[in-house]
Amino acid sequence: MLIYIAYGMSFVLALMLQYGVFSRWMILSGSPDLVLLLVIALCLHQKHNRFWILILIMGGIVGFVSALPFFVPMVVYTAVYLVSLSLKQRVWQTPLLAMFLVTFGATILANILSMAVLFVQRIPFNFSEALVTIVLPAVFLNMFLAIPVHAIVRELSVWLYPQGAQI
Amino acid sequence: MRNLFTPKNLRNLILIVVIAGVLILAISGYLTPIFSVSVSPLISAQSWISERYLAFSDFFGSPRDMATLREENLTLRSEVAQLQSEIIALQENLAQADILYTLLDFARNNPKHEYEAATVIGREISPYLQYIIIDKGSNNGIRYGMPVVTQQGLVGRIDAVISDAARVQLITDAGSVVNVRLKTANVEGQVSGSITGEISLDMVPIETKVDIGEVILTSGLGGTYPPNIFVGQVLSMQSRQNALFQTGSVQPIVDFSTLSAVLVITNFEAVDITPLVP
Repeated sequence: MLIYIAYGMSFVLALMLQYGVFSRWMILSGSPDLVLLLVIALCLHQKHNRFWILILIMGGIVGFVSALPFFVPMVVYTAVYLVSLSLKQRVWQTPLLAMFLVTFGATILANILSMAVLFVQRIPFNFSEALVTIVLPAVFLNMFLAIPVHAIVRELSVWLYPQGAQI
Repeated sequence: MRNLFTPKNLRNLILIVVIAGVLILAISGYLTPIFSVSVSPLISAQSWISERYLAFSDFFGSPRDMATLREENLTLRSEVAQLQSEIIALQENLAQADILYTLLDFARNNPKHEYEAATVIGREISPYLQYIIIDKGSNNGIRYGMPVVTQQGLVGRIDAVISDAARVQLITDAGSVVNVRLKTANVEGQVSGSITGEISLDMVPIETKVDIGEVILTSGLGGTYPPNIFVGQVLSMQSRQNALFQTGSVQPIVDFSTLSAVLVITNFEAVDITPLVP
């Protein structure tokens, strides 16, 4: 129970920081996604079979708060969870590498889904402009922030799982 | 009768006269050279002693003084830091007050509308969407579709509302379209946003001559926004061959990157014309 409370509080804190601070940190038009990074780090460090429920709740909350369609965060977070399960078994000796891999993939997936939503809603946009001004800066910023987020969640996991938190 | 001129009395009398004489000579300045010569070695000696004492005192006392000075320095530094933080807090309050005074001034100058001032508390998580979150919601009379402005001009409209917060779609959002009017040319057009947060002018008839710097106001067409709200100025115009309309880039009057407080027009109800659109 303590684990879910701690993860839930860290998620709420990350969401507040994202909306209040990190959404204003922009390179060109791209900004980092702290909530996505936290979800990735939590997925890589969790040790519970029913953690997917928390992931769905987090996706639902972000879908509710964000102007994005409801399913976009849920799909991205679920994909992050599934990929993390697989990576934990394959590259468990290099957790930071796993963090980078999932961050890169999840950022690209989130951007592709966002562009797909714009396309379906018939909102005109230039793909190459989106790639240069949003996708690449967002990937860079997320990769940059992945290190501190991973370190913080690792410390949190060490505290929550005293026997060791390495994935 | 006692004899006053005993040898003892005479000696005392002579002594008093001599002292009085010396005092008179000293007061009258006749003894100054003699004093100078005689006092000078004493002063030198006193100086030597004093210097040695001070040196001795400094040698043993300075570490304690240094520690005291360091403590005082630390205290003063902390006081300076505290005062600086107070100055920063006051400057922030002043900036906030300036914004609110300006908004109040705008509201007074536009009495036909009723306004609800709100603070911007967040920006949209997705970089593809240009939305902000404000700290006023349905409890403050905010409803879906209400226009949002600042003292400078149009910001956007309410997109979603909960009890104590609301989400505002900015005019820079890719899904935003505002019907506008060019003030001097007196023609209508549309201002639309983009994923990068830039806004552009469209649907301006090809034969219309549009000057750079032309003022763009809301037209009120479509019932989404009230008329005559400042949107921006024309930066440049482009017209393609055989095109029916010309397009242009627009400099928005509102600086969306530093938006911290807005006004919601609460007595304007947006008209939903969706059922009428074929």
